[in-house]
Amino acid sequence: MDNTLICRCEGVCLGAILKAIDECSTSVQGIKKRTRVGMGYCQGRTCQPILRDILRELIGQSELAQTQKSQAPVRPIPLGKL
Amino acid sequence: MKQKVIVIGAGIIGTSVAYYLSQKDVNVVLIDANDIAAGTSGACDKAIMLQSKKSGPNLQFAMKSAEMYKDLEEELEQDLEYENGGGMILINNEVELNVLRERVENQREAGLNVTIICGDEARKINPQLSPKIIAATWCEQDAEINPLKTSFAFAKAASNRSMTMHLNCRVLNLIEDNGRVIGVKTTNGDIYADNVVLCCGVWVNNLLKSLQLEVPIIPRKGVILVTEKIPKLLNCNILGGSYIVSKLQEASVEKNPFGIGLSMGQTKSGNLLIGGSREFASFDTSISSFVLTAVANKATEAFPCLKNTNLIRSFVGFRPFTPDNLPILGEVPTVRGLYIAAGHEGDGVALAPITGHIIAEVVTGQTVDMDLTPFHMNRFLQSFTY
Repeated sequence: MDNTLICRCEGVCLGAILKAIDECSTSVQGIKKRTRVGMGYCQGRTCQPILRDILRELIGQSELAQTQKSQAPVRPIPLGKL
Repeated sequence: MKQKVIVIGAGIIGTSVAYYLSQKDVNVVLIDANDIAAGTSGACDKAIMLQSKKSGPNLQFAMKSAEMYKDLEEELEQDLEYENGGGMILINNEVELNVLRERVENQREAGLNVTIICGDEARKINPQLSPKIIAATWCEQDAEINPLKTSFAFAKAASNRSMTMHLNCRVLNLIEDNGRVIGVKTTNGDIYADNVVLCCGVWVNNLLKSLQLEVPIIPRKGVILVTEKIPKLLNCNILGGSYIVSKLQEASVEKNPFGIGLSMGQTKSGNLLIGGSREFASFDTSISSFVLTAVANKATEAFPCLKNTNLIRSFVGFRPFTPDNLPILGEVPTVRGLYIAAGHEGDGVALAPITGHIIAEVVTGQTVDMDLTPFHMNRFLQSFTY
């Protein structure tokens, strides 16, 4: 179960996320900074809602278990096209 | 009874202060309203750059700090992604060359090993660099570190030495008694201590306010672009000459209202961090398409091969600016037991170890073998009315 892949872009598995929560991480942003979950090419489109659900299940603090702030760009864009 | 010290703010400065205090015979309590590296230290680049500092007290401190970084991974027993790969400032034209030549001369006199190399030598170090770059400065003492990993590692090492940590715990105000700080009122209750150290950067005035104090630290907004992972492109830190020229000529604000300049680094995972902007806009987190385009253009001008590299994210950080570009370090003159370590602007990563070391010495009453006068809060007292 710990080897279940949560973030494909950064190769982060459930075990690493549970470990971060064990080490007092209580927010999506906090787990992201500790494990790189959601930092990759798709910017957490798939993994962040899963992460939010894991947090709600484990610590129930829905206010903290928010996905990260949306930032430009909406989807990857070559630097030369900007 | 053991001396007890509360450190407020768990960014790279606060965690460093807490770590160096934890090496003394002191009870340390680290408090943050949010999380470790959740503010400025989680929204910055990774440079330990010496040659971006003008000669003077900041450069002297940065050089000492850079020496401390060399042993930090071993000391903290953590991988901090430290690289001592050097750094260069790209020179695009004669104007920049003249400004940087003088600056390099001053820095050399201050003991920094920095030189000017020709364009071809710069391209030997970074082969993809544009043929339009006519020269560059080169300093092999420049280095890089992951500020997130460093903050977490400081906190972990301090916790292993019995530091207590309260995250998601907001300090509401400082508790003062008879001209002395005796503790803090927090959302988790009151905590009492012998000393309080404010390491909360751009948010420091929120707490000083409760004592009718204020320091001239204001947020300077900086935007950074993140690209997809690419194979190793950069072999060192990169700054654009125009960035330094605009930093020196603050009067050019009208010409460059967003303070656009180029700074680049590549993370261990392969992403490029490309800065950026320097702008006074209070705590506004919006990112305009103008800034994104302007910074992207700077990057593709310097490295034309990046035209097809994807931008995947951008973020905003608030750097704690002070009017003389030096941090405030040391005791608050009017309140006994209260200390400040804030206002490092863009130098927080570079100056974190030395700041932690100095504050730990000062708070525990030891003598520091460095002149702290330029950093003392006193320098703002005349120009400030309380």
